[in-house]
Amino acid sequence: MIAVPESKKSGVSRFRTKLLVAMMLVVSAITALALYLADHYLAAAAEQDLRREFQGEITALQNVQDLRHAALVELCRALVRRPRIHAALEDDALDLLYPSAKDELRDIMANDAEPGPAAYALHAEFYRFLDRAGAVIVGPNVNDVGRLRPEEESQLALAALPERQQLGYLVRHADGGGERLSEFIAMPIVSSETGEVIAAIVVGFKSAIFGDARGGAGIKRGLLLDGRLHLDAFAEAERAALAAEVMRAVAAAQGAPSSFGREIAGAPRLLFYKRLNPGSRFPPAFEVCVYPLAELRERQWHVRWQVLSAGGLLLLGGLAASNYLSTRLSRPVEKLAVDSAENLAQRVRAEAALELTSEELQRAARFSADASHQLKTPVTVLRAGLEELLAEQNLTAEEGNAISALIHQTYRLSGVIEDLLLLSRMDAGRLEIEFGAVNLTHLIEAAIDDLGAQPDAIELAVETDFPADLHVAGEKRYISLILQNLLENARKYNRPDGRVRIAAREAGGEILLTIGNTGRPIPPAAQARVFERFHRGEIGENVPGYGLGLNLARELARLHRGDLRLVRSADDWTEFEVRFRVAQPAVADLGSLS
Amino acid sequence: MKRFLAALVLLLPAIARAEITIEGRVALPKTHTAPVVNKRYEVVTKGGVVAISPPLAVVYLEGNFPRPATPPTAQLPQKDLAFVPSLLPIQVGTRVEFPNRDDVYHNIFSYSAPKRFDLGRYRADERPVPSEVFDVPGLVTLRCDIHEHMRGIILVLETPYFVVTDPDGNFRLSGLPAGRYRLKAWLSSKTTLDQPVELKADSALHVDFP
Repeated sequence: MIAVPESKKSGVSRFRTKLLVAMMLVVSAITALALYLADHYLAAAAEQDLRREFQGEITALQNVQDLRHAALVELCRALVRRPRIHAALEDDALDLLYPSAKDELRDIMANDAEPGPAAYALHAEFYRFLDRAGAVIVGPNVNDVGRLRPEEESQLALAALPERQQLGYLVRHADGGGERLSEFIAMPIVSSETGEVIAAIVVGFKSAIFGDARGGAGIKRGLLLDGRLHLDAFAEAERAALAAEVMRAVAAAQGAPSSFGREIAGAPRLLFYKRLNPGSRFPPAFEVCVYPLAELRERQWHVRWQVLSAGGLLLLGGLAASNYLSTRLSRPVEKLAVDSAENLAQRVRAEAALELTSEELQRAARFSADASHQLKTPVTVLRAGLEELLAEQNLTAEEGNAISALIHQTYRLSGVIEDLLLLSRMDAGRLEIEFGAVNLTHLIEAAIDDLGAQPDAIELAVETDFPADLHVAGEKRYISLILQNLLENARKYNRPDGRVRIAAREAGGEILLTIGNTGRPIPPAAQARVFERFHRGEIGENVPGYGLGLNLARELARLHRGDLRLVRSADDWTEFEVRFRVAQPAVADLGSLS
Repeated sequence: MKRFLAALVLLLPAIARAEITIEGRVALPKTHTAPVVNKRYEVVTKGGVVAISPPLAVVYLEGNFPRPATPPTAQLPQKDLAFVPSLLPIQVGTRVEFPNRDDVYHNIFSYSAPKRFDLGRYRADERPVPSEVFDVPGLVTLRCDIHEHMRGIILVLETPYFVVTDPDGNFRLSGLPAGRYRLKAWLSSKTTLDQPVELKADSALHVDFP
């Protein structure tokens, strides 16, 4: 276990705090959203409920009204079928029209003797006949037909007789001031013989809409006629505003019934209007229902508070939960932090070791190069001195031999130094092969020539087996070096009257060069180590060399993307094999030309 | 004595006219209604014009005839919620009885100018049979206050010589007095055709309305 540094610990706690804050933010945002949506939804639902309630009440009222209208219309329809009325109109007895009607309407006309709402339920207040032109036929006795002011009576007239019943509304001004509303039905009188409309009867009834206390639940009902709203519950200014509002809505909706919320005279109201006499030839009359929304607002506030407190609780719970969660979630992160600290430490150590190795390697290589370089000059100087000494005339043969041996040693030294230099360059990765096509045949021939030119030449039989013009990919000097080293070994470790065999052939994109020699084989135990640097075989005690040749040759072969291996070493025969890559033909041609 | 004289006055022309008849045909307006068995004649009013459908005409001799000393009587029963016949010509001064031959109430009334009356509701067993005397010539439209579709026409004429054509418009008047008269054919409240006729004893005249 590696101790987590202090900075890591603070980092982990910072992470925990950040996580907590983020979670709280998310929880708060979600709560706020939920609150908003809930509030919105509940408010909408409450309004929807109220609207539905309102519509329900209105529908109920409308149904009552529709029933009443249907009853009134039926009453009128029965009336216009009465034979006496027909007789008066068709048999040219207009003088009998109103008297006949009086008889027929006796049960319908309101009886002043029995006042009260019941008297108005289906009782007529007035009636008039319209002639063929739609004008009012004046009755003989005003008291029988219901008293109307002249301007009121004129509103009953029509431009032409209607084909079917028409519903109209009339605001009547009582003598003592105040208004009351009448609704009247103009029912055409159709000749039973010809089917043509010959007259009409207008029967007026007290309207149930106006000033009726039945509109429960705070609903105020009134009538909008000729742009004026008749609704006692409101002051004049309010009524005017309401009327303007409804007229605007009527114009916008083209008279279709509708309900909408409006701020009227500082108070929110739900408004409903509906034309009472759609399609009528009488002026359009609208029923207007007003519902105060104060109660709804109150209800909405109540709900909103409930929602808010619920939201607060939710938020608290959410924050607690996020605290708990962030602690739990940051635990594995803490562990991860510890683990990563360990990993990091290990990696740092490994990197440091690697760097050290690399540096050491570099230094060694550099040292090797430097050393070789530094050594080359004195050796050259030494050789030059010795050669000068050898050139002296007065040397004895003994002295001459000794000096020659020394000079020979300087050559060996130079060779070692050269090899070391090359190896160190290779070790440092600074040796790059300039690939070209190299005529291996020529090189082998040259190497064989060199072999024969060695001063301590042993009598060796050289066997060759290679085709002419074998081209390998590589750099001439290094390939030559490989050949020299191998042939050198073949010569050095040979026995007297031994032989050397050099063979080369192309196989599968490679050129295999084998160099074999007679002589004591390399002991099996040492075979694995022949390519190690400064390794010398047991037999090599008396053989000149410094244990770099095979190593160098193998390194060079590998740089040429080939290899060098020991094929066999037993029974007086040791054979090495070098693999080269075949040079590309084009390049080969160039190489052969050069 | 007076009664005798009166009887004589009545009888004398009867003897004299026994031979005088007018036959002929009234061209009735064409109707498009398909012929139906047991046709019912209805009173129709169109544009204020009252007629009978399918068309029938009343042919009568117009002249200055004395009123009968004893008012003649006629009957116009209501049967199957209709006046039968629906067109009844009478002489001025005739008492018309309106017997109810249905099982339901009827309430016969008229708002027509020549005779306004209202018999009230009555049933078949009402006795005496409700009746009215029509002493003003003209057209009287009869209605029932209970059955709005019921219509009848009483044509009150100042002559005892009248007949209703058959559905083809054929008519025959007999027992006519000699003299110069106008023969009229009532087709509707608006249309009455007339032709001068000269009646001679023992003659049979043939008169067609166009």
